[in-house]
Amino acid sequence: MSNVTYPANPQPTTPDVNTAIAPGDPRTVSRRWLLFKAGIALNGLVGVVLAVPIVRYLFAPWRKDASYDSWVSLGALDAFPVGETRLAYYKNPSRNSWDGETDNVACYVRRESTSRFKVFAINCAHLGCPVRWFPQSQLFMCPCHGGVYYADGSRASGPPERGLFTYDWKIVSGDLQIDAGQMPTLSNTARLVTISTRSGDSKCSG
Amino acid sequence: MQRMKQTTLNVYAWFERRLQLEGPVKDAALHQVPRQTASWWYVFGSAAFTLLFLQIFTGILLAMVYVPSAGEAWRSLNVLNHQIPLGWFLRGLHGWGSNFMVAIVLIHMAQVFLFGAYKFPRELTWIVGVFLLLMTLGMAFTGQVLRFDQDAYWGLGIGASIMSRVPWIGGGLVHLLLGGPIIAGATLSRFFALHVFVIPGTLLLFVFVHVWMVLKLGVNDWPMPGRVVRRETYMEEYHHLAHTDGIPFVPGAFWKDLIFSGAILAAVAVCAVVFGPFGPSGQPDPSIIQTVPKPDFFFLWIYTILSYLPPQMETPFLLIVPLLAIAILLALPLIAAEGEKSWYRRPVAVLLVSTLAVSWGVLTRLGTTTPWSPHMSAWSGDPLPVNRIHDATPLARQGAVVFQVKQCRNCHSVGGSGGERGPALDTVATRLTIDQLRFKVVTGGGNMPAYGKNLSPSEIEALVRFLETLHPANEPPAYDASRRAVEATQAAESAGEASRLAPHPGSTP
Amino acid sequence: MRPLAQVLLACLAALTAGCEHAPGYPGSPIVRPHEVADFDTLYDENCAACHGAKGENGPAIDLANPEYQALVDDATLRKWISGGMPGAEMPAFAQSAGGMLTDAQVSALITGMRTRWSRPSGFSGPTPPPYAQTQTGDAPAGEETYQARCSACHAPSQQQITSPDYLALVSDQALRSMIIAGRPDIGQPDWSHFGPGGKAATPLTAQEIDNIVAYLASLRNPTQATNYAPQQPDATTPAER
Repeated sequence: MSNVTYPANPQPTTPDVNTAIAPGDPRTVSRRWLLFKAGIALNGLVGVVLAVPIVRYLFAPWRKDASYDSWVSLGALDAFPVGETRLAYYKNPSRNSWDGETDNVACYVRRESTSRFKVFAINCAHLGCPVRWFPQSQLFMCPCHGGVYYADGSRASGPPERGLFTYDWKIVSGDLQIDAGQMPTLSNTARLVTISTRSGDSKCSG
Repeated sequence: MQRMKQTTLNVYAWFERRLQLEGPVKDAALHQVPRQTASWWYVFGSAAFTLLFLQIFTGILLAMVYVPSAGEAWRSLNVLNHQIPLGWFLRGLHGWGSNFMVAIVLIHMAQVFLFGAYKFPRELTWIVGVFLLLMTLGMAFTGQVLRFDQDAYWGLGIGASIMSRVPWIGGGLVHLLLGGPIIAGATLSRFFALHVFVIPGTLLLFVFVHVWMVLKLGVNDWPMPGRVVRRETYMEEYHHLAHTDGIPFVPGAFWKDLIFSGAILAAVAVCAVVFGPFGPSGQPDPSIIQTVPKPDFFFLWIYTILSYLPPQMETPFLLIVPLLAIAILLALPLIAAEGEKSWYRRPVAVLLVSTLAVSWGVLTRLGTTTPWSPHMSAWSGDPLPVNRIHDATPLARQGAVVFQVKQCRNCHSVGGSGGERGPALDTVATRLTIDQLRFKVVTGGGNMPAYGKNLSPSEIEALVRFLETLHPANEPPAYDASRRAVEATQAAESAGEASRLAPHPGSTP
Repeated sequence: MRPLAQVLLACLAALTAGCEHAPGYPGSPIVRPHEVADFDTLYDENCAACHGAKGENGPAIDLANPEYQALVDDATLRKWISGGMPGAEMPAFAQSAGGMLTDAQVSALITGMRTRWSRPSGFSGPTPPPYAQTQTGDAPAGEETYQARCSACHAPSQQQITSPDYLALVSDQALRSMIIAGRPDIGQPDWSHFGPGGKAATPLTAQEIDNIVAYLASLRNPTQATNYAPQQPDATTPAER
């Protein structure tokens, strides 16, 4: 057989032992077929029963945003001089021992007055790269695609559609706390979209 | 000697009686292929196949040392690089093998497209091939994640940010992608599972189906202008061609596959030795913000597109275009199953491939230079050309300090260094008058932020005096004619005054 | 085939013999930015843009001037690097002041500058006036000294330093340091060579330097140095998500 029989399919060369079983007896066949179908049904049923916990397992991370968030401290208020923007660090509240360095999260704290803060996520509102604060020019710049933000977090230029993401904050006995726990993205922080215009900022729900 | 030969033959016969592989292997090896398909154009598929096995092999070797834990992965990569003898070479082989594989798969696809090989009866071969391409890219991306460094970390961040743009379920998808609320241990573990089990397993299965169909349906015949594919007649025509003007696949066509695969493997090895492994770059610690993340080579074009899309188009583009592109690729053989195969009769196909190739090249080139990104340390690290400082007035020199300290340099280059986001300023004084410079600095515009709020009047004055000096020696700065006239009259007046005050030279300046 | 064989042979030799000499052998693992202690790296990334590539020919003062190195002590250098120089453009680099450098890195910069750019003899000529101002200067007297000693070079419009805009960007201390140590890279003589053409003359006295600085300071217009629109906290509610 040097040439493949093209286009017809090659015939099976070994005799199939199963074909020898009484093909003509309708009774045997129907019983075997019934058992065969029962076998398939049993496997199907077990499959469905197994699928439920498997799907539940696979979708375990899919949770409500709030279930990941909690209040974390950024340290004493004295660390943040009035009128300045400082880098602050915290450990992500939901973490595992094998996270290594990845649960060190940074954010920018802008102290507008003694009792008023703005806490910005480090992640650019465009694609999440780490923006850098330049106190001299009072700008945040993103290294990835050139997004730039003013000191108040509003968009200055570049591809972002909105200003920097912000965290909720509160002051608890001399400590600055923020509501954090997940990577800020458009899906969990974009409910209030700030669209910056030349004349000023206007807020609209989005 | 004779006895040894006999023993070998006996052993072979013992195995063959049980395995019964001789028939199918002979069928596959000796089947007739059209003579012209024994071409150097037909070697890319087998080269991709070879590279896949190189990747599996080197991947298994790396997995013996690599620790798929967010806390340890980065360190284990450095152990591979520096403490395991030739660990760096294995990493180089795997990394370069990945690049070569993506490249070869893309070339294979372009060749198959131009040769019309997706037409009847090979539609399913093409469709399976599209999935193979997607899985190859998936392997490249997940592999980049396993190289758990800053690029991997922020690359995941970009992935998550794109996911988050999906309406309604975006948040859930981000959690699913990351395995939790942030990029952390769970993220690396699931990408390890994807890279090592899920995608390679599926990939092997699809490769089997792909190759099976190539063997069953025969290698695509060399396209001839005028030889039109018709469902009713093609099989017969191909059969006729393969048998009247055909040669057995082995060795007639296969020797070229063998040599090309060998050459590709050698090229991978040479690249691994000469250029070494990729990364790892800095620690995957998100609190290190002095980082400039960049994706791997084959994703640079996406990185470029993301920077040039207008903001309002971004979400629709990111979510619709990939799906649309995949749908078009999958539907192509179903829509165009018949007709001309030859590129001489398919100008649109040729134009499409060349346009895509040129665009891809341009986008990738831009992605390597990233002219849209501010250079984060240009303001403090890029010195100004010495002659600009030497010949400057004290005020202009102070303006140069302002230029640096206020991070103008991060976006504007002078003397070839600095950011490229904004225009280079080497000759800005020939384009803008001093008043225009002042206006531009204060109000910004286009992609430039307004600096009026952040600069004092003196800083602005010094800055524009410095910018005014940025012109070639033989080309004077731009000037406003009316301003000149005013200055001339002022100068005449003060000259008159000066002559009156002449007896007291050097009084109050 | 022969070149290919040679390349392969070379690779094989490289792999079996000293694999660490292969061109592709990876460099050392990347150090965290806060752990970088190499002076050249730190200087090139943080200082070179204003103070020049090798500490000279930059728009800001030349740190490679041995006289400047002799004039200023470590504590003062640390103060300026860490916290920035008030009244001048020098920004703060220490983390404690919102910059990016650790205290150890600031120390590395100071030690590095000393080893590279100071010379054992310090000032070659007469003893210089002290770094910091010791007594209040007399502006009218300073103007006289200025006219006598500085205006020969600084009167032409090219080298005008009495412009309020220039003075608004330079602190008294920076003026003083520059008068004493000079800027050899751009042709500014030190305090002992003040005079027409930078030729040797009687060195300026400490009192004269105080007076010149006081005179230049009197030309400043304080409003010039403040921003048009000071940052005002806007009236939005605390961060909403």
